Amino acid sequence: MSVTNPKPSDPKPSDPRILNYGDHAVLVHWEVDGFDAAVSDTIHGLAARLRAKGAFTEVMPGYDSLVVSFDSDVMPMRSARRRVEDALRRVSTKDAQADGRLIEIAVDYSGPDLAAVAEHAGMSADAVIRAHVARDYRVCMMGFIPGFAFLSEVDTRLAMPRHATPRAHVPAGSVGIANWQTGIYGLDSPGGWQIIGRTDSIMFDASRDVPFLVEAGDRVRFVPA
Amino acid sequence: MTISVLNGGTQTTVQDAGRPGFRHLGIPSSGAADRLSFAVANHLVGNPWDAPALECALGGLHLRFERPMVIAISGAEQWAQVNGMNAPMNRAFAVEIGDILTLSYAREGCRSYVAVAGGLEATEFMGSQSTYMPAQLGGIEGRALKAGDEVERADDAPTMTNTIPASYLPKLSNHIVLRARSGPEWELLDAHSRRYLFTTPFIATPATDRMGSRLRGDRIVTSEPLAMTSGPLLPGTLQCPPDGQPILALADGHCTGGYARGLHVIQADQWLLGQIAPGAKVSFRRAFEAEAPEILRVRNAVWSALIPGFSF
Repeated sequence: MSVTNPKPSDPKPSDPRILNYGDHAVLVHWEVDGFDAAVSDTIHGLAARLRAKGAFTEVMPGYDSLVVSFDSDVMPMRSARRRVEDALRRVSTKDAQADGRLIEIAVDYSGPDLAAVAEHAGMSADAVIRAHVARDYRVCMMGFIPGFAFLSEVDTRLAMPRHATPRAHVPAGSVGIANWQTGIYGLDSPGGWQIIGRTDSIMFDASRDVPFLVEAGDRVRFVPA
Repeated sequence: MTISVLNGGTQTTVQDAGRPGFRHLGIPSSGAADRLSFAVANHLVGNPWDAPALECALGGLHLRFERPMVIAISGAEQWAQVNGMNAPMNRAFAVEIGDILTLSYAREGCRSYVAVAGGLEATEFMGSQSTYMPAQLGGIEGRALKAGDEVERADDAPTMTNTIPASYLPKLSNHIVLRARSGPEWELLDAHSRRYLFTTPFIATPATDRMGSRLRGDRIVTSEPLAMTSGPLLPGTLQCPPDGQPILALADGHCTGGYARGLHVIQADQWLLGQIAPGAKVSFRRAFEAEAPEILRVRNAVWSALIPGFSF
């Protein structure tokens, strides 16, 4: 009997590397090519476990990595690494899937780069929109600025590189594509993503009780406005 | 009305100890860029070390006091004057109604802290009054102070001021030496870059602010072109983009980045990041694995004895 290829939903993705990040942070990094849903589930499950303990200053999930920072006078590097290793052993992809919300975001697909993405994909603009709304996306990471949502991978046909020179001004709510990633700008900012649409949903509003519309681990469904 | 701003200077913001714990939401920790000088100023006027105070980058701040109060100034080396007469640094002193405080250009270091007994009133966001200008959070309308602003004192003044012996106070200079450990992508830098990082100073370019400092020096590059997926980023990290000019992230720095994270400044030296002025020399020294926790332990022991509750 031979072992065949692992199923796409294999709950045990390849072992990550744990690296010291300076003297007061640890990075967990998975070697993946592009986006890996099982790795992403593991990262968010791990983030939830590590955050629940309340021992770390920051618990920051990414696409293929997670960083925790800590006060190294209270928690020595050795013990931080041990906590991360323990949590990694216990984590299951179910940790992440259980608490992620599904948030619908209405998008007006008339962005300045929609035509360019359509040409890049060899599709009509309508087909690009259909492909972009056809799947739900995982919020993999927030930042670089408040409210920016880095989402999981788009239909491979839509994967288009960033602009060589970023735009000086991209309005808040812009929905864009950068290679296999798609994302939503939380604030007006400079940016290089291919902008295919815009939402009126406010991603970040400091005056709201809950300032953030989405958080890492949530799922996003785009709906044509 | 307690304090009138006559001139905001280069960039003056209200800062406290920051809002750590929200980087996963894209919210930087912010807070005083030089946590030590900030804590010193607060302690001198009898405040808790983390009370909101003014952080003035490079100088030029002019304030008029509309009520008698006790203040202290700490941080960058500069001339502070009240009504044109020299005022002390690192010591609490009283000001009267109508007194005008001016901070001249910082000669050594970059940021000064003006603490007022009783602390300052500012907008709170996620547990902190620190100003984060890119999203207009905290502080006074989330922005730098400008002429015409009025800043209120939060509470009645504490009655006891404190002193800190001069021999303990750090001597700031325009050559900032930061002890650092390797970042996650250290191994991916080429051999020349790895040697150069620890041997020759860089110059902080004019692109130096609360978000970060772009450094100029020999090129720091990865041995292979690096197509990295964006990932989490912390203050004190030296990012190394393909153009070879590294960027040191500060308190307001982005929460994620896509460049090689070559070095990370040790916890005990992070406060010094706030004293990098444009044009300053910046050198990195390797902190060894066993050394970094010891530096931190000793510094925390000394400073928590001087300033209750403070740690680096």
